[in-house]
Parts: sequence; C-alpha cells; structure tokens
Amino acid sequence: MNAPNIEYGILGPILIVLAAALIGVLIEAFVSRRYRYILQTGTAFAAVALAFLQLVLIRQTSSKAAVSSMSIDGVTIVLQGSVLIFGFLGLLLIAERGFQSFTAQAAAIPGSNEEQKALVSGLQQTEVFPLTLFAISGAMLFPAANDLLTLFVSLEVLSLPLYLMAGLSQRRRLLSQEAALKYFLLGAFSSAFFLFGSAFIYGQAGSTTFDGIRKSIVESGGSDQFLLVGLALLTVGLLFKVSAAPFHAWTPDVYQGSPTPVTAFMAAVTKVAAFGAAIRIYYFAVGGLVWSWRPILIAISIVTMAIGTVIAIAQKDIKRVLAYSAIAHSGFLLTGIIALSKDGLNATLIYLFTYGFTTIGTFAIVTLVRDSGGEVSDLNRWAGLGKRSPLVAGTFTLFLLGLAGIPLTSGFVGKFAIFTAAYKSGNISVVVAGVLASAIAAFFYIRIIVMMYFSDPVEDGTSVVIPSAMTVATIAICAVATLVMGIYPQPVISAINSLAFFAG
Amino acid sequence: MNLAAIVQDQTSHAEAVLFYLLAPITVLSAVGMLLVKKAVHSALLLAAVMISLAIFYILNEAPFLGIVQIIVYTGAVMMLFLFILMLVGVDSADSLVETIKGQRILGIIAAVGVGGLLIALVSKGNLGHRLFGLEMANGEGNVQGIAKLIFGQYVWPFEVISALLITAALGSMVLAHREPDSDKKDQRALSEERVRQSAQPVAGLPGPGTFARHNAVDIPALLPDGTSSDVSVSDVITARGHLAKPGDFKFLETSDDDREGN
Amino acid sequence: MSLGTSDTLVYLIAIPLFSSAFLLLGGRALDRVGHLIGTAASASSFVVALIELNKMLGRDAESRGVTQHLFTWINVGSFQIDATLLLDQLSICFVLLITGVGTLIHIYSISYMAHDIDRRRFFAFLNLFIAAMLLLVLGNSYLNLYVGWEGVGLASYLLIGFWNQKPTYATAAKKAFVANRVGDVGLSLAVMIAFVQFGAVTFDGVAKGIEAGSASSTALNAMGAAILLAAVGKSAQFPLQAWLGDAMAGPTPVSALIHAATMVTAGVYLISRSNFVFDNAPTAQLLVVIVGAVTLLFGAVIGMAKDDIKKALAASTMSQIGYMILATGLGPAGYAFAMMHLLTHGFFKAGMFLGAGSVMHGMNDEVDMRKYGALRKVMPITFATFGLGYLAIIGIPPFAGFYSKDKIIETAFNAGGSKGIILGCVTLLGAAITAFYMTRVMLMTFFGTKRWDSAAHPHESPWLMTVPMILLSIGSITTGFIFSNGDRLKNFLAPVVDKHHHEHETELLAPIVVTGLAMFAVAIGISIALAKYSRKTIPASAPTDVTVWTKIARRDLLQDDFNETVFMRPGQSLTRVLAFLDKRVVDGAVSGVGAMTLRLAGDLRKTQTGYVRSYALLILLGTVAILAAILVVTV
Repeated sequence: MNAPNIEYGILGPILIVLAAALIGVLIEAFVSRRYRYILQTGTAFAAVALAFLQLVLIRQTSSKAAVSSMSIDGVTIVLQGSVLIFGFLGLLLIAERGFQSFTAQAAAIPGSNEEQKALVSGLQQTEVFPLTLFAISGAMLFPAANDLLTLFVSLEVLSLPLYLMAGLSQRRRLLSQEAALKYFLLGAFSSAFFLFGSAFIYGQAGSTTFDGIRKSIVESGGSDQFLLVGLALLTVGLLFKVSAAPFHAWTPDVYQGSPTPVTAFMAAVTKVAAFGAAIRIYYFAVGGLVWSWRPILIAISIVTMAIGTVIAIAQKDIKRVLAYSAIAHSGFLLTGIIALSKDGLNATLIYLFTYGFTTIGTFAIVTLVRDSGGEVSDLNRWAGLGKRSPLVAGTFTLFLLGLAGIPLTSGFVGKFAIFTAAYKSGNISVVVAGVLASAIAAFFYIRIIVMMYFSDPVEDGTSVVIPSAMTVATIAICAVATLVMGIYPQPVISAINSLAFFAG
Repeated sequence: MNLAAIVQDQTSHAEAVLFYLLAPITVLSAVGMLLVKKAVHSALLLAAVMISLAIFYILNEAPFLGIVQIIVYTGAVMMLFLFILMLVGVDSADSLVETIKGQRILGIIAAVGVGGLLIALVSKGNLGHRLFGLEMANGEGNVQGIAKLIFGQYVWPFEVISALLITAALGSMVLAHREPDSDKKDQRALSEERVRQSAQPVAGLPGPGTFARHNAVDIPALLPDGTSSDVSVSDVITARGHLAKPGDFKFLETSDDDREGN
Repeated sequence: MSLGTSDTLVYLIAIPLFSSAFLLLGGRALDRVGHLIGTAASASSFVVALIELNKMLGRDAESRGVTQHLFTWINVGSFQIDATLLLDQLSICFVLLITGVGTLIHIYSISYMAHDIDRRRFFAFLNLFIAAMLLLVLGNSYLNLYVGWEGVGLASYLLIGFWNQKPTYATAAKKAFVANRVGDVGLSLAVMIAFVQFGAVTFDGVAKGIEAGSASSTALNAMGAAILLAAVGKSAQFPLQAWLGDAMAGPTPVSALIHAATMVTAGVYLISRSNFVFDNAPTAQLLVVIVGAVTLLFGAVIGMAKDDIKKALAASTMSQIGYMILATGLGPAGYAFAMMHLLTHGFFKAGMFLGAGSVMHGMNDEVDMRKYGALRKVMPITFATFGLGYLAIIGIPPFAGFYSKDKIIETAFNAGGSKGIILGCVTLLGAAITAFYMTRVMLMTFFGTKRWDSAAHPHESPWLMTVPMILLSIGSITTGFIFSNGDRLKNFLAPVVDKHHHEHETELLAPIVVTGLAMFAVAIGISIALAKYSRKTIPASAPTDVTVWTKIARRDLLQDDFNETVFMRPGQSLTRVLAFLDKRVVDGAVSGVGAMTLRLAGDLRKTQTGYVRSYALLILLGTVAILAAILVVTV
C-alpha cells in the first residue's frame, strides 16, 4: 500500500491556520504572561492574512484533495475566503482591550473575591486566540469536507472552541457559563443525530464520500429508505448548526450569554460554514433526492422565518433581537438551498458574504454601548442614542437597514438575489413567506431606529465608549462593505458567479 | 426475506444466541442509566452498555474495535467518571422531579415517535443485502485493515481530530486552571507580619509569675516596666477573684541606680 | 430619438459628491477652507454643465440626448439594473439651474454662514444636496431617480435640522422627513408597477412598453397616481404641503436653494419626465390638474396671512409650484411651460429668498415683517433685487414671471370645455392673490414706517451676499424673454416631452386677451394691497380682532389641524395602544403589533423556557416531524 497523497498546497490555507493555532498553544505554555497578548494577536492576524494570501494563489483550483476527503473548488474558495475575512474581523473585536469583554479568569467562581482580584490585577485569557484560530480552521474545513467523516470531525473542530468561547463573558458570568453549557449539550445532542444519519447513509451507499453517495443515488434511483432516513437525521444535525427552527432554541441564549465579540464572530463565521456545508450536501451529495428534501426544507424555512421575525418583536434585549434576526436570516438563506440551481448557489454565497459584514458590524457596535457595569443590552436604555452619539447611532442604523434589506444596502442585494433564485426555481410559496417575513422584520429593525432617534435620552449612565483602532477599523470596514455592496455590488456578484462551481 | 431469515442465513448460532442474550441487557441498561437516581449507578449501567457494545463489535469480527472499546471507554473513560463521582460524593443524587409541564409526556411521545418512525422507515427498506466485503476488510487481519483505513482513506479526518483533542485540552485548561494566588503569604511573610504587629508578644504569651517573686499560677508576670501582665494568668483564676495583686510581689527596693548597675 | 454617449457626465455628480465626503471626513483641519472647496466644487460642476450644454447645442435636435453607463448595479440571472446617466434637453435645464443657482447660493452662504462654527459641515451638506439632486435629474431609470430622490430627502433633512440645537427646528426636520416618506411610498409603488408591468424601470423601457401596449389603462392610471403621490410629497402640494412652511427653520440659503429653486420642483420634473405615462392615463392627469389648482390657491391664501417673511415666501413657492403642476397636467402643451415657469421661478424666488436672508442678516435674524418697514433706504441693493423679483413673480411684463405665468394661464384656458374655463379662472384668481400678498410683503418690508426693535441696526449686506442677489435678479429680468422668444424653450424640449408634435387645438381666447385679463387681475391685487397697507400704519404686532377667515389663513388654512385630526390623532391613539402593549412586554408579558402577532409571539416565546431539556425536546420533536415527513413523501 502506498502512502496517501496529501495536497499540501491547496490545503495550505487550512494548514496555516491550524499551525498558527498550535503556535498559539505553545505560546500559552512557554511565553511569559507579559508578552502573550502581543504574540498571540500577532500570530493570529498574520496566520489569517497568510492563509488568505494562499487562498488567493490557489483560487483557480477545482479538485478533490486528501484522498477525496476534501473538495477544494470554487465554492470552497469563496466560502473559505468569507470565513477568513469574517474571522479576521472577529479577531479584531476579540483583540480589543480598550474595555473588557472577556473574563479575566474563566476558572474563578462568578462573583467571588478571586474573580474580582483577577479582574483588578488585569489578568486576561489569551487562550481565546488559539481557540478562535481552531474555530476558523474548523469553519474552513466544514464547507470543504467531501466525506461524512471529515464533515463530522470538522463540525466538532468548529463547535468545540465556540462552546468554550461562549462561556468567557466578563459580564453576567453565570449567564455566560449557562450559555456555554447549553450550547455544548445541545450541540452534542444534535451531533448524535448527525452521526446516526451518517451511519444510515454509509449503510446504503457503501461509501462516506459525497461522490460515492451521489453515485449510489444515481444507481439506486434514489428511492432507498436507508438513504432517506440517513438524510433526515443528517438534516437535523445541519439545521441545528444553522439554527433553523425548531432546532434554533439555543441561539438566543448563546448569543446573549457569549461575550459580544464572540457572538459577532460566531454569528458570521458559523453561518457561512454551516450553510457552506449544507449547500455542498444538498446541491452536490444528495441533489438527486431533491424530491424528498425540498418540501421539508420549504416547511422549515417558512417556520424559521416566522419564528425568527415574530419572536424578535417581543424581545427587549438587543442581543436577543439580533439572535432572532439571525434565525430569520437562516430562514431566508434556506430558500437559496431550496432553489437548487446555479442562481441559488450564487445567491446563497452572495447572501452569506454580505450578511457577515453587516452582522459583525452590528455586534461590534453593541460592544460600544456601555455603562459602568459593562455592556448595556437592554433596548430601552438605547433610547435617544441618536442624540448622544449621532455617529454610532447612524452607523448602527446603516447596519440595521442592511439586515432589514433596504435598497442601497448590501442586505437588499443578498435578499433580492436569493428570492429571485427561489422564484425562478418555481418555489413561490417560500418567496411569498420570505417577503412577508422581511416586512415584519423591517418593523422591529425600524423600531430600534425610531427608538434611537425619536426618544429622549435616559440619563442612566449609558454611554458610548471610545474603542481602540481595532474596533473602529472593524466597524468602518463593515459599514463600508454594507454600503458599497449595496450601491455597487456587481464586482462581488460577478466574482462569486464566476467562481462558484463544484468540482465534479 | 424477513429479518429472521437473514439472521439464519448470515449469523452463526452462537452469535445469534449471544446477541439475543445481550441485546435486552444493553437496552435495559441504557434505559436504566437514564432512570436511576444515583450517579454512581448510572455510571455502572453505562459501563454495562459499553461492555455489551464491545462484545457486539467482537461478534461482528471487529476485535480491534471491541478491545479498544473496553480499554478506552470501559477502562479509561469510565474510571474518570468514577473518580469524579468520588470527588463529588458517591451518594450525590439528582432530583428527578420534573418541573416543566408536559415535558415528560412530550419527551416520551417524541422518543417513541422517533423510534417508531425509524422502525417504520427502515422496515420498508431493502433489508436483503448479503454481507459483503468482510473478508476483504479483514483479509490481512483486522488491525491491519483498520490501519489501512486510518492511515489511508481517512488519514485527513484522522489528523484533523488532533486539532479537536488539542482544543479539548486547551479548553479544560481555560475552564479549570487558576492562576496561583499571588497574595497568598508564605511562612516567612507570616512571621514578619507577626513581628510588625507589636500588640502581640512575638515570643508567645508570658507564663504566670515570670519576673515576679513567685511563679504560682495566680501570680501575674511582670512586664519590663514593672507593671503586671493580665494575659499571663488564666482567665478562670481572674474570674474567681484569686488573682494576687501584682504590687505585692514587686521587688521592693529597686531604684534607678540598681537597674543601671544590673 | 437616438442617444449618443458621453463619458463626462459622471463628473457633474462626482465633483460635489467627493467634495462633500472630503469636507465631512476632513474634520476640523478644513474649517478654514471648507467653504471655498465647497463653492469651487459647485462651480466646477456648473462649468461641466455649460460644456455639456455647448456640446448638446452642437448636435441636431433629435439626437441631443446622451447617456453614460457607469456600472451594472445588479445582475442576477436574467435581471439587470444598470446605473446609467441620461442627459437630454429636459435634464440639462435642471442641471444648469441646480449648478448655476446652486453656485450663487454657495457664494452667498460664505458670508451668510461666516459666523457659524459648523460652516464646513454646512457646505458639505450643500454639496451633498447638489450631488443628489443631479443624480435625481440625471438618472435614466426610475430606480436611479429614486436613489437621488432619497438623497435629496436626506440632504434636506440634514439642512433643515442644521441648527438642531433648537427642538422646534428638529421637529420641523422630522415633519419634512415624514411627509417625504409618504411621498416616497408613492414612488416605490410606481417603480414596482413599472417593473411588474413592463419588466423594466428605465424611462426608455417604460415608454416603449406603453407604446407596445403591454399595460392596461388601470395600471397606467395607478402608476400615474403613484407618481403624483411622490410629486405631492416632494413638492409640498396639497394635501402633503404642511412641511414646507416649517422647513423654513433651516438657514435661509437652504430655503432658497432647496425649498424654492430646486428640490421642491423635483415633483414637476418627475411628472414631466413621466409624460409618456400621463399622456396615456387621463384619470391620473386629471388628478394632477386638480392637485395643482387646489395648491395654487391654497398657497396663495396662506401667503396673504403670513407675517413671517420666509413663511410668506414659502406659501408663495407652494402656490407657484401649484402652477407648474397644473401645467404638467395639461398634457404636451403644458410641459414646456411648466419647465419655463420652473426655471424663471428658480431665479426670482431664489433671489427673493436671498433678499429675505439679507434683510434678516441686517435685522438680527428677525423674520416678522411687522418689525421691518422702511428698509429701502438702508438696504438699497437688497431692495432693488427683491423688487425685481417681486415684479417678476407677480407677472409684470417684461419680467420673467410674466412670460411663463401668462403662458400657463393661456394653456389653462385652452384646455377645452368647462375644464378650461374653470382652470383659467383659478389661475387668474391665483395671479391676483399673488399680486396682493407679494405687494403686501414689499410694503411691509421696504416701505412705510420703521417698526424696528430697539436692538436692530439694519445695514446692507456684504458684497459676497449682494453679488449673487444681483445676478439672480438679472436672471429674473431676462430669462422669460430669452426662453419664450420664438418658443425657444418649447422647441428645445419638444423631442423629450412632446414626441408626437401635438399642435395647438382651438384657442378659447386670443393670447392678447388672456394677457389683458392677467394684467387686470394683477392690477386689482396690487390696488387692494396698496389700499390696505400703504395708507394706514401697520401695527408692529399682528392685530387680534380679525375675521375668522384671517385666523384660519394664519393657521395655514388649518392644514396642521387637519393633519392632526385626520392622521395624527388616530396615529397617536394607535401609538398609545402600542405603547401600552409595549409596556406590557417590559412587565414580562407580551407585545407586538396586532393581537394575533402578540399572542403568537407570546406563545412562541414560551417555548424558550431557558431549560436545556426543553430545547432538546424541541429538537427531538423536530426530528419526529422530519422523519414523519420522509415517511409521507415516500408513501
């Protein structure tokens, strides 16, 4: 038996990030506390930038890699590029030290003297940087995985760091730890379904690779029960990750409990990775079973949109509103998968790319509105922000309009593309539901805007802190991206259209 | 071809007997694991499930997997569980009272639903496949076969798992490792602190009668300036009123000159 | 009409846009030169416009329009929207007005805003407005126009509320914002109808679609009505006129540029541009006429009662735009005259606003005309320029307003049947009232006795302010003659607005008779005003023992009361209900829009118990549902 061939070049972007994560672990082990922050951030930023560079170099690749475990093709390139960009922005937010979002010491009991002491002495958990890098590498593996085992391992590589990072919030420690535990338990639960499903599919197809599954569907005519049962259970695992209803329940709690920079990171990166993987499965691996999964996804998409938008109205915590908005966006994104066409593929990728910027920018601004106790997430206390800090409120308005999909923001372009694709594929019901849900969603986004501008400020110590250049840069990049892709999206659309092909 | 026929056709008698023996035990253990109150019972039932699974693996001609299952899960992982249970206390038990309305009913319905639907779906499936590929997989021996898969076709996911393990290690460090408390005082610091607090005699409390003319228990010690020390006599004696007056026991003819001479 | 291409159009917009961004981002470092940069940007844009005009006049009439494709905005699947600029005879008129008058107002503002600490920001917003307005008139599709439309709305909002330290000013900005939003709904409806009916949103595409007969007359009428709604909001026409008077809270150059010369006329542009829709939608066209006629009287009546000089001018603007809207509703014959009145109005009204600004500048920002009087001697240049504007607006020959208004009255009479007679009389009545209230403004401001506050020391404004006023007053003298001589403007615009070369139908009255009637109406108006205001001394505070009609007119013909009763009260009750419901959220119950959403939201929220076992149960139930669905689809 010959040694298997690993294509290091085209797997380079992932390997670079993984290597940097390992270096980060070593830094934690061997470097004096004083230099850790600077070394960790340096390593992380350099790695993401290098990985992106390598990705640009291999952008024309379209082949399977690592004994068919991976598929490095145009779709992968677009998704990995998105992950790296959002990862970089997320890292910028995580690296912010102008104010404390992360707990000084995760092991300290919440509310104890020890915690207080750690906080005063300025300790910080620099482990969050290698964890973030592991998550990024997982998010790069997930949409590129070309067999069920790799898919599962990537899913865990993506999730495990996120479970941990969710529990590191400085503010409301207990809530944060609770969120981490919930996320972990439910993640494990859904992974079980995922594995169960994989086993069924393997049992029928005799192969774990997507090519093998695809081939077996063609050969068997796609009517085999094992395959369908497997697909159903696999769907549960995937839908959990994209937080589609009824597998969405963790999302608000986790979004709320996590440190806001981590929320920003996970909202953007997880969504890209999970939808990336989903699109490879539904488009490539089980495209032949579309008659079975399309009605299910249509129902789930509609329910998800409805639940996301309706419950968001009743929320009074800004992070929970945004969490439900993320759920609603999952519903919108599912319409792109339902379309099952080249247009749908393009539209999904465009939507993910535009959504990431907007959502990171939104959460970045949430980190800025604080009082002496930390972030202020109670919506009522955002009242009158437009009068106190017009610039911050203005930028936030831009992001909200982007999320609502108002023309001239990138959100409109994404929504327009994805609904057009679904419409053209003949799935009118889901488009109608999507447009209705968008209208309801616009209501609660605009309610926040009205609150910021047309209410009188409450004098309760809520203020906007002046962040360091890192958060400022993140917000600026996200705002410019939201605006530019709204006004002149064509270059991005064309680039994605020309890249987005699966390797056969 | 029905299930029984398949079993007849492809399964040896001994295997079938073992399966029918172990299967109910496995399922009952698994269900029991969820229902028992004490954590330690739960852990033991889990061990039972794992051992049964290991036996199934071996029955299915995957001896390596079976052994690994026993060594790693039943051995290492279960031991860890039990260690932790010992730390928490063997008697620790969870309240199994359900507080959410409808949770239990719905849970049972859903569980039965999933099970029932799976059976319904699978039974409609094409179950008549003959076993194939087993000889090929185990052709060079079971361990070699697995090695081929792990280091051949699945080398990439296998390597990627290392990232998962490192994350897990790092995560447990983050969640459990505390910085050594830099304020905690060592012995030297403690003794120096004691000296600095002048109210306390460094060398311990004086015994009764020290520097006095008698050393009976009711006679207070004398301090360098000639006054008596209250702390040198037991509180009981003071309370009983047996305390001797310190003045009574002073060296009588002491003058400044004498002291200087001494 | 064949269209050439030009690759310089983009500079028209790009120069002020970049200047605006530069000024906003440049920060305090640019405070000393910001106003110069802003003015230079506007002037450069004007120069580009002149070059374009020169090039255009060099081509023959049928191929004067040029386009520039900037980029493909969205191209998903087979659907494509381009960002393309279109400069034809109609848009060049606007471009010249915007950049020309705009530049003069920039120059004026240098001095007017000299003491404002935020002068740089002011110029940045002015530049932003110029860019957005140019985009509005240069877009080749309804969608591109929409972008500019929102842009001018934003700039207007920012500029009205420029002095937003005062809460009433911020309220005024908000009022304008809301009224404009109502109008915007109209425009977006129009865009949607166009898209659904013709699959295109370009002017060209829609026109072709109509010609091919691919839309029912109902659809066309609906589209026309939607466009009219948009125009009504933007141009402060009845019933969305209430915001214009309050918008006078902004700095006076803003009132001159945005709320007299350019932005408020965007509605006229929109209707003229959509001539192909209205020519095929008689019902919508009739609506346009009615709106125009009502507004022209409405504005004029309000103008009679206002003591605030800027509000009087605002009412007059409303009324004059009513004339233009009315003219556009008269079909092919009217478009050119509407445009002509728009252009001449741009000159004289901007000039008068600048004059009003100059007076306020000299009078410590006093706006009450009852506190003016006898200013002609201390402010001779302001008096002269304002006076020329006055002569123009009331339509004394040979000033600009005479030519343009006379033509509209004439066209109104010729509209045919009883409609023609009614419209003719309305326009005549409007002319008389205009003469009355403008004379009143002149008399109260420049003649009579001094009624100044003790603190006021009126003086003539510096040359930076007077020069633009003088230039604009030259415009108010000459433009009318230039445009109407030999129907020059009408012929120039004909390829765009009158493609089928309609000839005049029967004339109800000879032009000379109409002119005579108009002169007579004006004379009556002037005489009444003279009789009322030049004999008696004018009290320094508004008399209170007036008739109920005057009171109503002073209250803007109850427009705010009307809005309050019809829209605000129910709106407020609704808001109160919502607020009540909202409050219950805070108290831990539920909230939402309607009762159903409310209950739904509440019920759904109950699934979010916070217990991980509930969430797991939810996942399990979801799995059951999916498996069941699989079972169903495979049966």
